Amino acid sequence: MECLREQEIVDAIASGRWPHACDPSLAPHAAACAICRDVVIVASALRDDGVDACHEARVPSAGLVWWRATIRARAEASRVAERPLTVAQGIAGACAVGVACGLAGVAWQSVQRFQRIGEIVATLDTSKLPFTSTSASILQGALPFVIALGGLGACLLIAPIAVYLVLSDD
Amino acid sequence: MRDMTFSEIERLGAAVGEPDEAFQMDEDAFRLFYDRTARPVWAYLSRMTRDARLADDLLQETYYRFLRAGGTHESDAHRRNYLFRIATNLVYDHRRRQRPDRVEMTDHLETPSVDANVAERTARRLDLARAMGQLKPRERDMLWLAYANGSSHQEIADALGLKRASIKLLLFRARRRLANLLRAQGG
Repeated sequence: MECLREQEIVDAIASGRWPHACDPSLAPHAAACAICRDVVIVASALRDDGVDACHEARVPSAGLVWWRATIRARAEASRVAERPLTVAQGIAGACAVGVACGLAGVAWQSVQRFQRIGEIVATLDTSKLPFTSTSASILQGALPFVIALGGLGACLLIAPIAVYLVLSDD
Repeated sequence: MRDMTFSEIERLGAAVGEPDEAFQMDEDAFRLFYDRTARPVWAYLSRMTRDARLADDLLQETYYRFLRAGGTHESDAHRRNYLFRIATNLVYDHRRRQRPDRVEMTDHLETPSVDANVAERTARRLDLARAMGQLKPRERDMLWLAYANGSSHQEIADALGLKRASIKLLLFRARRRLANLLRAQGG
C-alpha cells in the first residue's frame, strides 16, 4: 500500500525534476515498483493539469474581490439591522388587520341590530302609536348613513397603515 | 433575496473605505493572501466542478466566507487549508444541488491545436478529465489536493473533513483506480 520512496517521487514530480534531474536511482525503482508506477502516472498527469489550470485561471483582482465582499457584508449587516423593524411592521400589520376585523364585526352586529329594531318598529300599529312611525322612518332613513359611516371609519383606520406598509421598503 | 438597486450599491460603496470589523483580516493582508492562493483555489474549483464560470462564482464566495469567518489561524498554511475546506464545502453544496442526470460542461478543455506538443498535452488533459470523471467526487478531490496542489495527508484531511488515518488508504485506492483508467485510455 505504501512504498518508502513514494514521497521522493512525488516531490521530484512536483518540483519538475522528474525524471532527468532527480536521484538517478528513482527512475529504475519506479519502473520496478507497482506502487511507484501508479504514483508516477497519476502525479505527473495531475501536476501538469494543475500547472495548466493555474495558467489559464483568469481570477479577478484582489481589490475587486475585496470590494465585492465589503459591499455584500454591508448589505447583509443592513439587512440584519432592518430585521427587527420588519418584524415590528409585521406585528403592526397583523394588529391592524385584527382591529379592522374586530371593528367590522362590531359594525356588522350594529347594522343587524338596527335592522331588527327597524323591523320591529315597522310591525307596530302606527295608528295607536303615532310617534313610532316617525321614529321608524328616521331609523330606516339613518341606516345607510350608519353603514357608510362605519365603512369610512374602517377606511380611515386601514388606509394609512396600508400606505405605510407599501412605502416602508423605500 | 431581492436585488440591490444602484443607489443602494452606491450608498454601500461609499462606506467601503472604512475599516471593516466584519472581516478577519485587513485589506493589505487580504491582497497578499489572495495573490498567493487565488489561482490554486480557482484551479481546484474549476477542475472539481468542471465548469470555469461556476468556478469564478465559487471563488468569490470562497473568499467571502473566508473573510467573514471568525477565529484566528496559527499559520499561513493553516489559513490556506481553511480556505480549501471552504472551497470543498462549496463544491459539495453545488454537487448536492446539481441534478444527477446533468451533463457537466468541460469548457476548460480547449480544441486541440495544430502544434504537436499542444495537441499532445490537450489529449492528455482530455484523457485525465475523462478518467477523473469516472472517479467518485471525493476521490477526485483527494487526488487533486495530493498531487496537483501538493497537500499533505493532514491538509487533505482538514480540507475534506476526514480523519488523517484514513487518508493513506483512500488515497492509495483512488490513485490505483485513476492509474488503471489512464493506462486503459493510453492503450
